[in-house]
Amino acid sequence: MQNAWQSLAPFAAFVYAYEGELVTSFVLGGTAFFVITTTVSVLNYWFFRFQLNDDSILIRQGVIKKKQTDIKFDRIQGINTQQNIVFRYFGLVTIKFDTAGSSDNEGNLPAVSRSFAESLRERIGRPLGRAPSVLGDKAELEPLLTLGWRDMVRIGLSDRRALVVFAAISPLIERVDDKAYSTAVNYIENAAGDVFQASVTVAIIVFVAAVIGLIALLGAVSIAAALLRYHNFELYLDGNTLRSRGGLLTQHEVSMHLGKMQTLRLQQGVVMRMLNRYRLSARQARSSHKQSKSKNFIVPIVTSEVADHLRELFLEPEGDELIQIPASVRFNRISPYFMRARILFVGLLPTVIGVPVLWQIFGAISLLAIAWLPVTVILAYQSWRHAGYHCSSEGFVRRSGVLGYRSVALLYRKVQRVSVTQSRYQRRKNLATLRVYMASGSVKIPYIGQDTANQLRDYILYKVESSQQAWH
Amino acid sequence: MFQNVEIALGDLPDMEELEWQQLHPRYVRRMQAERIVVVMAALAASALPYLLLDGMFNSSIPLWLIVIVLAVPFLGWPLIAVPRRGYVIRDKDIIFKSGVVWRSVTAIPYNRVQHVETSNTPFDRKFGIANLKIFTAGGSGGDLQISGLGLETAEQLRIYILEKVGASIENH
Repeated sequence: MQNAWQSLAPFAAFVYAYEGELVTSFVLGGTAFFVITTTVSVLNYWFFRFQLNDDSILIRQGVIKKKQTDIKFDRIQGINTQQNIVFRYFGLVTIKFDTAGSSDNEGNLPAVSRSFAESLRERIGRPLGRAPSVLGDKAELEPLLTLGWRDMVRIGLSDRRALVVFAAISPLIERVDDKAYSTAVNYIENAAGDVFQASVTVAIIVFVAAVIGLIALLGAVSIAAALLRYHNFELYLDGNTLRSRGGLLTQHEVSMHLGKMQTLRLQQGVVMRMLNRYRLSARQARSSHKQSKSKNFIVPIVTSEVADHLRELFLEPEGDELIQIPASVRFNRISPYFMRARILFVGLLPTVIGVPVLWQIFGAISLLAIAWLPVTVILAYQSWRHAGYHCSSEGFVRRSGVLGYRSVALLYRKVQRVSVTQSRYQRRKNLATLRVYMASGSVKIPYIGQDTANQLRDYILYKVESSQQAWH
Repeated sequence: MFQNVEIALGDLPDMEELEWQQLHPRYVRRMQAERIVVVMAALAASALPYLLLDGMFNSSIPLWLIVIVLAVPFLGWPLIAVPRRGYVIRDKDIIFKSGVVWRSVTAIPYNRVQHVETSNTPFDRKFGIANLKIFTAGGSGGDLQISGLGLETAEQLRIYILEKVGASIENH
């Protein structure tokens, strides 16, 4: 019985202490800031209490507004830890409880010792009464996967968020660009004297340099972000629990029980395709809150062999035949009628309506909008070619994507509900769309034969209804 | 005792010969009554431009005409849509179908049901109608909502499904 009030070390104060070193003119403000943050953190520390019971953990916190959280162990899906650079120095971690039924992880335990986190994990991971495993120390575990700096570069390059950053900073770049341009032109004008000649050359040079510089900058930022999050990434399988650890300054440790996995997805964007790599993520049950995102366990980069090996481990033994690699010949095509609806509603309809409207405003230039039509045709064709599915007796894999690939594997026995939908057009062509709902979200196979869809649905229902295993 | 019988795909129970249960006959009326209220509100709203800016609009008649033309299919829709909905209670799952243009058939096995809820608005009560909502994991809101059941049917179904859910848990 471990029923003592445990207290925390006041290291939060140290975190803020580093902020105290400010330039002399800000000394006063700095001191005030320092005093306030120290007071706040000391108070927070002072009023933070937690109690460990047999089957739950009780957290009390708040200086003015008191908050009490009672988390039952059986509701905890996983214990994730984070360790920032200060905590690492003192050997402390922040525990984040991943609970079913809440939108965010509702309970955090900041600044507890690593061994305490381990013992808690040990206790929650295994039901009461069973002896803790001999293999307690992770040092003895062989990592399934480790990522080196080359992988960081790959992750950085293929990060889709780089485009978002680009969109955000591009106006800024433009302004800098203008200035650089005029300065450069001035300089070269003075040097050369031949105004016209120089400005054209300079314009080209500056433009090219700016583009290259921008791409290099984005790449560097993106790689740095990857390094920050996934430095020294290691993946373990401890019994039935997946664990990953990684991060440069703040070390993230994420864990997930294999049985709780709902879908396993393998993704490959355009850049990943060029690098011949994939991103693997396992999805856990989503909580019933509205707008909560599903909880994922991510392996940021894998080769196809590793992906296949991991899939075998994760879905074992039922997922034996569920090959996820997009190039696999097992995939069945969906019906080409799939393209028609897309071309019609995304391509033709907007063009037919849009062009006359644009004509009123812009005149003949609006005819360029007709180019939208072939674009949608190509995209529709691509997404049809990339779509596919294959089934085994225990589960299916669905493949999709426009430029890249995404393939999702799932086991029938974890399905929550199934629906078969048919539009008027699909009915005429004897086609249907099958959608299965998992606890992590839904997966659909569009435009397959009506009989196939119905048969698959009946089979899935049979599998679910005869399954004796828990889905979570 | 554990059994693992091999099942041929053709032998699985399929949904071709199901006897679909219809929704409560008064449900069409209830939907229409609700829609009449909406139409009345639209008519009142279309009179507003005339009342407020009488200098600019000579009358509300064109607006009213538009509302009335749209109201006809709007009020007639339940007559088409409601008969196409239906449900089947089987031993291991509940199936619901709906849709006129996009038809869908959804099945929920009882051993995946998290909880069941019946509800009705004052409007529903006036017509003796209740709605049944079935929740599964990972969904948001009602995952399967069967609106337009009779009060008693809804209650019976709720109890029946709960019993089935309980039985499936005990079997584990």
